[in-house]
Amino acid sequence: MRNPSRSHVLRMLGGAALAGCAPHAGGSAGTDTIRFGVSGPFSGDDANYGRVWRNAMDLAVSEITRAGGVRGRPLELVYEDTQADPRQSVVIAQQFVDDPSILIELGDFSSAASMAASPVYERAGLVQFGFTNSDPAFTLGGDYMFSTATSVRQDAAIIARGAARLGRRHAVLFQDTVWGKSASTAYVEAARSLGVEVVSAQSYLAETKDFHAILGNARAARPDVAVYYAYYTDGALLMRQSRDVGLDAHVVTTGACYNQQFVTLGGDAVEGAVLPVEFFAGDPRPAIRTFVQTYEARYHEQPDLFAAFAYDAVNIAVWAATRGGFTRSGARDALARGTHIPSIVDGPFRFGSDRRIERTTERWVVVKNGRFALWNGA
Amino acid sequence: MGETILSGLITGSTLALAALGISLIFGVADIANFAQGPMLAFGAMLGWWLTAVLHLPYALALACVAVATALLGIAIERIALRPLANAPRLAVLLATVAVGIVLDRATQLIFSPETRVLDDPFPRATLAIGGLHVSAFDTAIPAIAAAIALLSAWFLTNTSTGRAIRASAQDPDAARQMGIDVGTMQSIAFALAASLAGIAGMLAGTYYRNVEPSIATSLGMGGFAAAALGGLGSLGGAVVGGLALGVLQNVGATLFGGAALQVVTFATVLGAFWLRSRRASSDRAANESTFFGLPALPAPPRRSLAIVLVLAAVGVPLFCGPYVLRVGSEIAIYATLALSLTLVAGTCGTISLGQVGFFAIGAYASALLEKDLGWTFWCAAPAASAISGVLAAIAISPVARLGGQELAIATFAIGATIVALILNLDSLTNGPLGISNLAPPSAFGHAIVSARDDFLLAASAFAIGLLFVRRLQSSPLGLTWRAIRDDPVAAAASGIAPAAYKTLAFALGGGVAGLAGSVLASQYLYVSPDMFDTDISVLAFTIVVLGGMGSVWGALLGAAVLVGIPELFRPLHDYRILAYGVALLLLVRFRPQGFFAYR
Repeated sequence: MRNPSRSHVLRMLGGAALAGCAPHAGGSAGTDTIRFGVSGPFSGDDANYGRVWRNAMDLAVSEITRAGGVRGRPLELVYEDTQADPRQSVVIAQQFVDDPSILIELGDFSSAASMAASPVYERAGLVQFGFTNSDPAFTLGGDYMFSTATSVRQDAAIIARGAARLGRRHAVLFQDTVWGKSASTAYVEAARSLGVEVVSAQSYLAETKDFHAILGNARAARPDVAVYYAYYTDGALLMRQSRDVGLDAHVVTTGACYNQQFVTLGGDAVEGAVLPVEFFAGDPRPAIRTFVQTYEARYHEQPDLFAAFAYDAVNIAVWAATRGGFTRSGARDALARGTHIPSIVDGPFRFGSDRRIERTTERWVVVKNGRFALWNGA
Repeated sequence: MGETILSGLITGSTLALAALGISLIFGVADIANFAQGPMLAFGAMLGWWLTAVLHLPYALALACVAVATALLGIAIERIALRPLANAPRLAVLLATVAVGIVLDRATQLIFSPETRVLDDPFPRATLAIGGLHVSAFDTAIPAIAAAIALLSAWFLTNTSTGRAIRASAQDPDAARQMGIDVGTMQSIAFALAASLAGIAGMLAGTYYRNVEPSIATSLGMGGFAAAALGGLGSLGGAVVGGLALGVLQNVGATLFGGAALQVVTFATVLGAFWLRSRRASSDRAANESTFFGLPALPAPPRRSLAIVLVLAAVGVPLFCGPYVLRVGSEIAIYATLALSLTLVAGTCGTISLGQVGFFAIGAYASALLEKDLGWTFWCAAPAASAISGVLAAIAISPVARLGGQELAIATFAIGATIVALILNLDSLTNGPLGISNLAPPSAFGHAIVSARDDFLLAASAFAIGLLFVRRLQSSPLGLTWRAIRDDPVAAAASGIAPAAYKTLAFALGGGVAGLAGSVLASQYLYVSPDMFDTDISVLAFTIVVLGGMGSVWGALLGAAVLVGIPELFRPLHDYRILAYGVALLLLVRFRPQGFFAYR
């Protein structure tokens, strides 16, 4: 059986010694194998998210393998590290589109790394499934860009409704990133439409460790609710330090803080924080219970939102590849037209016309005695 | 406001701690040590491991961190730096970059990239000062920073070993004649600096309470800025610089918001350099040796290798697959960016660590001209290049009188300020969202989107840059620049104004960097602040040093090696970046003068 990528590799090897060649040296894939490319931060500053991705994706692959593969064919993920750096994600995009055995691409982690690579995927007609890319502009980059990340506008409406139940004077602090900026802008609109007064809206750099100054500003505006658009690391620090400056307000944050580390890092300072989650490990639905149990047994930590999304991404990709007759364009059409796409997070769902998921359910959790528990409103 | 200043002083003392090791190495070895940031992170993570996993008492853990990092410092000096004792100073600088890459990745592999809790053992009882609650540990930090600074300063001035360290740094030959073991002194200096970084990392990490390997970047940058503000090389200055920077950062964040942090930090550093530059008379600047120290013996340009490179550039699109072409485009873009530095560094003897700023201006200017004014790429690219050049001249002229290292640090601050401004000037640049979905350039009614077209465009831009730089180098202007590089005093004596010529070199170099930026925007069809971190300045600098100062072919070969290696090492997976660092270290070790040299 002929390796589909061999001639390609030989051509590259013969062509130039000066650039990286033989991207899948060691790959033992036959024509039978279903392959997906994963472009993600497996080293660099975002490496921790890459670690979680790989855990969840490996779990999905081993489950599929144990169940006999994809219609009897083995499944292989080709992980390529980009450090979520556009300089590398573009090159990896080319590597994936050149390899005819790759049917779908998953990632990259940051919207910036994904969007720089979008032209390459779009032109080659390979699905770029940026399952964490919440920047609305990402799926507008072409017909092959899909995302299951909640659009920031929809997320903002949910958060604003929850926060409005806790008070009418809101202070917003957000990461000055693509996500934080677009999400908080949407939030301010949504909150105002509910008659809430946004008394302070401030941004901070993602790598910030010291928030005393901006928290002092927020306190001066006398809010009764503080809304943090933060990941769990900066979210935990924000909450610890808000206690130092005496900012006494209800705290509402986002699903990105849904990680046991948020509680570990924040200690008792994060008690009482509420957040809407797309995924909750205590969810009684059988699919989620099974996922959480196997994940915990294998990795000795609780899966978070990124783990659940990554796990789903593999299964969605398998569904799309199968439905699409194992062709690239077939997979795209399956995603675009499918009405019952499998997902443990969302149950069967469909993509909207903007190739993004529309979430209608709303679930909240609260940090209570060092654990996340369902929250039913104030 | 009192509260803001108080918390600023506490933050500032963590920056001061981080700055101490950086300043120490600057003072005694005259080197900007790029491994200090990763060493801070290593100290913090080791501190976490010792206290949280091994349950050692805090003080004992701190002592272990101090010893372990000191040993690591000695090992780094012995293995990576000492073999370069007779190499140009820049090779040593580059070796610290490589060591930093290795250490950074090793820390991630050893401790995993997760965020951890680094707890302090002191009573939690918080003191209320104004509206601010601080713990006993927080209030102790400034005192600890001051004590460490005093102790280190006392060691360097009042002990015979300390004096020997300084003597070895000032004049190694004379020190050797006085019977001082210069190698040992150098080892002790690096051990001390590494140990200071380890202690600083653990203490600062304890103050933040959360530590992760990626604090190398933020804490290292803060420490570097504080050291620069405090006047590079002075331990007292590092403490004062750290405290001042902490207060300014907090006041700045209170007034302009948290996202303005980097603008405040680097604009402050730049301001300090501007003031220093006004004080520096042109005589003094001229007398200061250039960054290069003794010029390395130039090796003859390898004409045959140059021919091979040209053939490769022509042959790649004919014989290679799209993946190689895509890597080739990246190489061409970064080679073009490196050309801008070739012009500045190799020709007039001034290093720049801020090229990313002009690269970013070029990318944004062409994106904005295309998106907002509807210009075509062919009009926008030259305009963007011109805008970069003009802004480069404006940014550099106030500091152009500074010499060698100081100018290099000032350019670092310029690059960081430009990128921070791009993030903050929302109404012009769209802030963190960037500018997306640009239209691809088209030629003869054909859109340039395929890997081959992109490669040809990037290679053409490189060719234009190459001809431009070559032409300048062989012109009378190039001769003047070289006169400044080789002997600033003689050049000034013959009526050449070094500052004006340096500014001109930066302006023309900025134009080339801007061209590279607009080509980047035309390939990604998207620009965002994330794309332009300071690593890119370091990459450009690395390419130029490795390729050979001032050699245009060196820029191409250096880019091919440095952009190509991380791709070539992909089969190594988790160890890819580690291997890249090691490869860089070996290249510096065995080719410290670069691949090509330029006379």
